[in-house]
Amino acid sequence: MISGLILYKYLKVIIVQLLTYLQNVYNIQKYISAMKVLIIEDEVSLQKSIQQYLTAEGGTCDCSGTFESAFQKISIYDYDCILLDLTLPDGEGLELLRYLKELNKTDGVLIISARDAIDQRIEGLKLGADDYLVKPFHLSELNARVTSIVRRRNFAGSNLVVFKEIQIDLNARQVRVNDRVLYLTRKEFDLLLYFIANHGKVISKAAAAIHIWGDDADMADSFDFIYTHIKNMRKKLTDAGCHDYFHTVYGIGYKFTDS
Amino acid sequence: MKLFSSYNSILLVISFIGLTFIGLLFYKTLSYYLDRQIDNGLIEELMEVQDFTHTKNIFPAPEVYKDLVIQYKKITKVQNNSTFADTVYYNPKKRKMEAARYLKTDISLGHKPYQVLIICSKVHRDEEIRIIGLIIGLPFLLFLTILYWVNSVLINRMWTPFRKLLLNIKSFNLNHDQSFEHIKTNIEEFRELSKAIEDLSLKVKSDYREIKLFTENAAHEMMTPLAVINSKLDTMLQSNRLGLEESETLIDLYRATSKLTKLNQSLLLLVKIDNNLMMDTEKVSVMDIVKEKQTFFNELIHNRNLKIEVYLDPVYLTVSKQLLDILINNLFSNAIRHNYDGGLINIKLTQSGLTFSNTGPDGMLKEDRIFERFYKDPASEGTGLGLAILKQICNRQNYQLSYRYINQLHIFNINFN
Repeated sequence: MISGLILYKYLKVIIVQLLTYLQNVYNIQKYISAMKVLIIEDEVSLQKSIQQYLTAEGGTCDCSGTFESAFQKISIYDYDCILLDLTLPDGEGLELLRYLKELNKTDGVLIISARDAIDQRIEGLKLGADDYLVKPFHLSELNARVTSIVRRRNFAGSNLVVFKEIQIDLNARQVRVNDRVLYLTRKEFDLLLYFIANHGKVISKAAAAIHIWGDDADMADSFDFIYTHIKNMRKKLTDAGCHDYFHTVYGIGYKFTDS
Repeated sequence: MKLFSSYNSILLVISFIGLTFIGLLFYKTLSYYLDRQIDNGLIEELMEVQDFTHTKNIFPAPEVYKDLVIQYKKITKVQNNSTFADTVYYNPKKRKMEAARYLKTDISLGHKPYQVLIICSKVHRDEEIRIIGLIIGLPFLLFLTILYWVNSVLINRMWTPFRKLLLNIKSFNLNHDQSFEHIKTNIEEFRELSKAIEDLSLKVKSDYREIKLFTENAAHEMMTPLAVINSKLDTMLQSNRLGLEESETLIDLYRATSKLTKLNQSLLLLVKIDNNLMMDTEKVSVMDIVKEKQTFFNELIHNRNLKIEVYLDPVYLTVSKQLLDILINNLFSNAIRHNYDGGLINIKLTQSGLTFSNTGPDGMLKEDRIFERFYKDPASEGTGLGLAILKQICNRQNYQLSYRYINQLHIFNINFN
C-alpha cells in the first residue's frame, strides 16, 4: 500500500518532468495557449485593443459588434473563450448565454460589463458564464482571466500551470521549481500566476496592484509596495535555482519573459 | 406661541375692551334713565308741595319720609329756574350718608319767595342697577366661559388633521419608499393642503429618483470610454519604443484614469446604497471582517511603517455583508491614507461600536463638513467620497457615526445601537 503510494508519487514527478521537458523542447505551451477567442463588444476601439493584446501570443480572435453577428458566430464555431459585453446595440447579451446553453456548448464565457450589478452577475454566472469583469479593466487582467478560463476548460481536473522550470499546482496552490517546493504567500502566488499568464507583456505596477488589492490599491500614492512583493518573490524563485524572468521596465512596471 | 393661544389672547383683549365699553355705555344709559325717573318723582313731589301750598297756604311739614327730604329756605327773589343735580345727604332714618338727587327751585308762598330743596335718595336706584348688572353680567360671563371651553375643544379637534399632516411632513424621508400618508378630513383647507403636500412629495421623489438615475446612467456611460482609454494605455505600454518621457506621461495617464474610474465607482456605490440595492442581511462576524481586512491591507500598512493596535471583541451583527465590507474597507483606507509614515492606527471593536483612531498630518477636521460629498483636503488624492459613503451606510443601518479629535488622534466611531 505504502510502496504503491511512493511509486505513484515518483511516477507523478517523472511524468511532470517529462511534460516540462517536452514543453521546452517542442514548445507545447505555445500550441496550447493558441486559444480561439470570440470578442462580442460593440465598442470597436476596445474590441481592437483586446484583439491586439490577446493575439500577440499567437491566439486567434474573432470579433463581432452586434448581437446578430455574434449569434451567427456562436452557432457555427466553437471557441475556447467568449468575451461577452452584456449591452449590445441590438440585443441583450444574456440572451446569447441562454442560446449557448441551448446549444449545449462548452465554450468558456467571460462577461465584460459596464454595470457592476450583483443581480446581473448572479444571473450571468447562473446561465453558465465563467467569470465577470467590470469595465474598465486592464488588458493584463482580462488576459489572466481568459487564460484561467481556458485552462479550466481544456484541462479539466489537472490544474497544472507550467512555465519553463516553474510548475504551479493550482489545486494545491503549490509552486515547484525544479521539483523543489517554494513557499509563497497568497498574494505572491497570485502575482506569479498573473505574470505567467501575461508573460512577454509589460505589466504596469497599477495593474498588478489592482489585481491583488482590487480597487483599493490606488490608496498608496505610488505602487512601489508592489516592488517589495516582486523582490521577495524573485528572491525565493532564484534561491530555488530558477532563472530570473522578471524584467523591470523603468518607472512603469515589470515584464515576465524568458527572452 | 400656539395658534390657539395667540388667537385667544387677541380675542381676550378685544372682548375686554369691548365689554368695558359696552358696560360703561349700558351703565350710563341705565343711570340716565333711572335719574330721569327720580327726577320725575322729584317733580311730582314738587307739584304736591305746590298743591299743598295753594290749598293750605303752608308748606308741608319738612319731615323725612320715603327717603325723601324737603327743605325750605327763605330767599329774596323768585328766580324762575329749577336745577336737578346729584349730591350726598345725611339720611337721618338710616343715620348715614347716602348718594341722592335733589331738585332745587323757587316758589312763592303768600308772595314770599322760598327756595325748595327736595332730596331723594339714590340707594334704590343703585341697587336696581347692581341687580340688573348682575342679571345680565353673570350669565354673560358664564356664556363666555362656555364659549372659551367649546372653542378650545373645537379648535383642538379641527386642527387634528393639521397636526397629523405636520407629523407626516416631519417623518417624510426621501429615501424611504412609502409614499406620503393621505389625511382624511372634512375641512377643505386641510384637504387641499394635504393634497398639495402629497403632490409635492411625489414630485420631489420623482425628481430625486431622476437625479439618481441620471447619476447612475452618466457613471455607467463613462465606464466604456474609460475601458477604451485603459485598454489603449495597456496597448501603448507594450510598445518597445517607450522613452523616459513617454513612460512618465503614461504613468500620469494611468493615474488620472484610475482616479476617474474610482470616482465613478464611488458615485455608483452611493446611488446603490441610496436605492437600497444592498439589503440582503445575514449574521456577520464583524471581528472576522476586520481581521480579514487587516491582512488584506497588511502590505499597505507596512509600506508606510504604520503601527497598528487592535482590540477586537467577538461581535455579530445582522447586516448586509457587502455594506459592512465597504464600511470597514473605507475605515481602513481612510486611516491608512490620511496618516503619516510611521504613524499609528488603533482599532477597537466592542459590543457597542467600532472605533478607528489614527494619527494624521492635519489637525482637527471640520466635523460638520467631512461627511459631505466631495469635501476633501486639497492635498488628498482621494475622491472625496469615502467618508460620504461611510456616512450613507451608517444612515442606512441606523448606526451613529461620529468624528472626534483627541490627543492628536482622528477618531471615527460607529455606534451600532
